[in-house]
Amino acid sequence: MTPASGKEIVRKALAMGADDAVMLSDDAVAGSDLWGTAVALAATIKAQNADLVVTGTQSTDAISGDLPGMLAEKLGIPGLTYARKLEVADGRVRVERETETGYMTVSAPLPALVSVTKSANEPRYPSLKGIMGAKKKEIKQLAAADVGVTAVGTGGAKAQLVDLATPPARAKGQVIQAPDAAEGARAIVQFLKERKFL
Amino acid sequence: MQNVIAFIEHKGGTIRRSSLEAATQARTLADQLGGKAHAVVVGPGAQQAAETLKKYPLDQIHVSDEDRFLDAAVDAVESVAKSAGSALVLVGNTMIGRDVGSRFAARVDCGINADVTDFKVEGGAVSCVMPKLGGLVITTCKLTGSDFGVAAIRPNVFAAKETSGAGEIVQIPSSGKASTVTVEDEVEEAAAELGVEEASVVVSGGRGMGGPEPFTTILKDLADAFGGAVGASRAAVDAGWIPHGHQVGQTGKTISPQLYIAVGISGAIQHKVGMRTSETIIAINKDASAPIAEFADLLVAGDAFAIVPELTKLVRDAKAVHA
Repeated sequence: MTPASGKEIVRKALAMGADDAVMLSDDAVAGSDLWGTAVALAATIKAQNADLVVTGTQSTDAISGDLPGMLAEKLGIPGLTYARKLEVADGRVRVERETETGYMTVSAPLPALVSVTKSANEPRYPSLKGIMGAKKKEIKQLAAADVGVTAVGTGGAKAQLVDLATPPARAKGQVIQAPDAAEGARAIVQFLKERKFL
Repeated sequence: MQNVIAFIEHKGGTIRRSSLEAATQARTLADQLGGKAHAVVVGPGAQQAAETLKKYPLDQIHVSDEDRFLDAAVDAVESVAKSAGSALVLVGNTMIGRDVGSRFAARVDCGINADVTDFKVEGGAVSCVMPKLGGLVITTCKLTGSDFGVAAIRPNVFAAKETSGAGEIVQIPSSGKASTVTVEDEVEEAAAELGVEEASVVVSGGRGMGGPEPFTTILKDLADAFGGAVGASRAAVDAGWIPHGHQVGQTGKTISPQLYIAVGISGAIQHKVGMRTSETIIAINKDASAPIAEFADLLVAGDAFAIVPELTKLVRDAKAVHA
């Protein structure tokens, strides 16, 4: 799901090894909130009859981390999130789910959705052959109506942007040269006392 | 929206701090909305957690012993929300909190706001304030178009306050459903310690640390002196010096501690976006012209390996005087 300008990103995914690509691109889905994005993506994914849906953990701009769970729910399939390792065997997917203190091994029957963390693998570089091949591949373009999605986009958002502000920039602070470590430490303690941390 | 439901994360009955923050904030918002404050606590140990929650200003504490991983929690929140009729659900912006909140939102088709640092209530409507793009912009999003809404609150921003609450404990009837997800095994790789998201003081190390050792010695000692947590830059995590759970920045955690001490961290934008909303930032770096000088409240240029242990000693002394 991307504006038309995202075509090159889709092309890169093909160059990296995807067999084919489907792109949902429509003004009607532009400006969707998380809910609208989940609805539109789920409808698009459903039409592909996938056994396994793999997503990242979060985007680098909005950083919500909510889309994988929402997609799993909308697709009506188990969602295994924060996977640092995954394997598929005998109709089940098994993952190592990261936790704050280690990991859990969790599994579910296919079809399922897995969101992977950065530790899951190293993205492969597109080979020259892959890049050439990707140029010839067709990217299937879909509109909202093709996947039966309405009432999303800016107008349908259930989390509606009402204000956008720039926070005051952090001012440059004090810089102290401390060739003597004890003096440096004392300067920090003084500062901490002024700010009531000590 | 009228009522507020705090989803409570716990481990064997011990509640995460961010969930106590959610419970306290639930009261504040419920009062502003003219509704009730509820808590939902699920899984083994839920009864014990409910006892703790009696010390928080809640109207009702809903308890379920069901142990279906995530599903039981989503089902419980859904049933409490639906019987309340109209509700804002608060979850911590943590791994489990995001999973439960996002799935509830998709299930009931409501809006969800992530990483919320403030609320605005107006005419029965709730808007959430969220720093985005690593704090470069502050967005405010109104929850609308549904009787429900979800806000994942950033840990360590809202206060957790015990009061003479007298929440009534209500048992959620068992659904009798089987779990689709099987938990086969749970492995602890690190001691259960305060995470960087929830610590009020974070001491982070970067490339300048040169190896894994400082993370378990001088940085850990300084963090311990404050009762805080050890963080790291991506460079340190990628070098394998400390696990990814400690990483602060674009591909790690976004945090807002009261005090952030960056040791041997240059302050590249990828790191900055994860910690720029800290209340106070102190940098210890050999280079006074590192990018971090532009946004740290104090930069001390010198030998971190000598300054940090000395600082730890002085902090311990100062704390001992007050103790």
